[in-house]
Amino acid sequence: MEKLDITKSYRQVIKKTAEVIKSGKMVLFPSDTVYILAVDPTNKRAVEKLIGFKNRWVGKAISVAVSDKKMAKKFVKMTENSETIYNNLLPGPFTVVSEGLHKTAIGIEAEDGSLGVRIPDNKYIFDLVEELGGPVTATSANLSGRSPHYSVESFWKPLSEKKKAMIDLVVDAGKLPINKPSTVIDARESEIKILRRGDLITGSAKQTLISKSEKETGKIAEFLWKKVLRKTLDVNKPMVFGLSGDLGTGKTVFSRRMAKILGIKDKVTSPTFVIYNEYQIPLNPPLTRGKSDLQITKFLHMDLYRLANQYEFEEIKFFEQFDSMTSSRLVACVEWPENMGKENFEKLKKLANYVSINFEYVDENTREIGYSITLET
Amino acid sequence: MKILAIETSCDDTAAAVLENNMVLSNVISSQIDLHSQWGGVVPDIAKRAHQERIMPVIAEALRKGLNLKSKGKKIEEIIGEGMKNIDVIAVTLGPGLAIALSVGVNKSKELAIKYKKKLVAVNHIEGHLLSNWVKNSKEKPFRKIEFPALTLTASGGHTKIILMQDIGKYEVVGETLDDAAGEALDKASKLLGLGYPGGPVIERLAKAGDVNFMELPRPMEHAKNLDYSFSGLKTSFYYRIKDWPKSEVNKNLENLAASFQNAVFESLLIKFRKAVEIYRPKTLLASGGVMANLELRKRLRKLAKDNKLKIFMPFRKDLNTDNAMMIGVAGYYKALRGEFVKNIEELDRDPRAMI
Repeated sequence: MEKLDITKSYRQVIKKTAEVIKSGKMVLFPSDTVYILAVDPTNKRAVEKLIGFKNRWVGKAISVAVSDKKMAKKFVKMTENSETIYNNLLPGPFTVVSEGLHKTAIGIEAEDGSLGVRIPDNKYIFDLVEELGGPVTATSANLSGRSPHYSVESFWKPLSEKKKAMIDLVVDAGKLPINKPSTVIDARESEIKILRRGDLITGSAKQTLISKSEKETGKIAEFLWKKVLRKTLDVNKPMVFGLSGDLGTGKTVFSRRMAKILGIKDKVTSPTFVIYNEYQIPLNPPLTRGKSDLQITKFLHMDLYRLANQYEFEEIKFFEQFDSMTSSRLVACVEWPENMGKENFEKLKKLANYVSINFEYVDENTREIGYSITLET
Repeated sequence: MKILAIETSCDDTAAAVLENNMVLSNVISSQIDLHSQWGGVVPDIAKRAHQERIMPVIAEALRKGLNLKSKGKKIEEIIGEGMKNIDVIAVTLGPGLAIALSVGVNKSKELAIKYKKKLVAVNHIEGHLLSNWVKNSKEKPFRKIEFPALTLTASGGHTKIILMQDIGKYEVVGETLDDAAGEALDKASKLLGLGYPGGPVIERLAKAGDVNFMELPRPMEHAKNLDYSFSGLKTSFYYRIKDWPKSEVNKNLENLAASFQNAVFESLLIKFRKAVEIYRPKTLLASGGVMANLELRKRLRKLAKDNKLKIFMPFRKDLNTDNAMMIGVAGYYKALRGEFVKNIEELDRDPRAMI
């Protein structure tokens, strides 16, 4: 068995991994959630090997990772629901179950002909699939019924010699952040069904997610942040998240997570009284990695709750911060954005990459969080 | 030492003139009619128009504090005349609203340079701590404050327990992780359909209400540390009354106010009591806008009595809320320690200044 460190000589590792998979072999590979077992899902021998390894009965589906909706369409039949999910939620920690087109080897699709497809929000897998020009299996690297693994060691140690011999290549990315395996959504029928709960759960309406705890609201913040970064941003504009919703629905929790994502280590307390708090951002926050031209240096946590009218908003001179040379380096979370007045709100949408987030109370521990992204260029 | 103190950390533009730690004058924009005094137009809708208000407020503080004759004189003349008699300028550097702080900081720099005065930069929270050292022009009240002293300071913008080893030696031992105590009261007031600021309204209603009417949580009660959290309390209050018809809320305003206020105050006291047990201070102090509440003062006095300690709180009501007097006194002690701003030109506001 060969072992490669993906954090070193990245391109070569991706290239080598693609070659190994193409030749029908099995690779342990890092994903956005857990370590996965990657084989070519169209290769009969490779799929048999994978099923043998996992002690899995044929008939239970094995999900595959693709790079985009176009590639997915080669393997599954789209429905109105699945189109919506692909357009709004992917890439992200979701597996979408659709009716398969039988283009994969036996054992990939489930007994009922369904197939789970992922577009992982992960550079490694994305680049691997691009390199391959086709899908890979994205099943979590564990034996059936066991828990998934976040490091190569925890996966490797308990394996029998026989099982170890079945892995042809190990691609090591170190310890992965603990994210749950993806949320599995069945999009075949008109009513969406959640088959397995991951970190993010979709809500009843389009572009909504369900949070059952402060932690999950934080995960949603992270998901939306990554999503915005992937969009074609106008890099000359600041990025503003407008957070609307009743008291106690999670607006400050969201802002606090955003600060953490940006690398701010200070305590983030309520800005209601002072209206906004400014935070300087340490250089190179990890999540802006993909966009090297987007160096964010300042985070503004603003709460317009106390403002009674648009004049009061104008007094705090928020837009003046946009005029400076550094406006593109600004990220702001604005709670109660409706209190700035309609004119100012329209102006904000023009001046910034604006993401509107709406927090709704469902029950004591549940919030439905809707979002829409306005990127006017 | 004559001090001109300037405070613009959030809503109010404030200035004061002091002789050492004695207040000679105290001016807050929201409490005086600048229009009639100095003319000029500051629209009523503008709450935080510090830029428009700073000059008249400073002029008024100098005029009153130094007994200057203002008749027929322009603002600039009054300020010029007053500044001749000032030795030190003290200004709030932070924490606070950046844009508001800038106005005060820039004006203090301008005056310090123009009139060649020494400048001290004061932390707003230190101002609240030292509000218990503020005296009137007859050097009253006399207080013997022994260290270490433990301070509870709570307002709309902050909630902290601070251990003082001496003037200038502070350690934050507990603080809110989310909302401030005063903010919680303000928000509860708004939820009940009442005005802003909410503290005084809630206090008035609570007097006639039943604190046991509604059971509310005491967030962080069982956490081992001395930190506070008021966000969850606000949320649970909100969802308890959310679906009530307005008539039902109105019928129970007093009881609701009493229950909520009681939850906030008990939370404040649980941690403060714990802090007293841990740090065994010689004196207790309390300050900040929330201390304007007489019920809280009563409970704090009882806490002090139970522990056989003396407790001091600001001697006049406008010393609790944001004001320039406390900034002047904090500035006075800094000046005594020789802590002047070295490079005045480069002084910049610090919106999230730590104490």
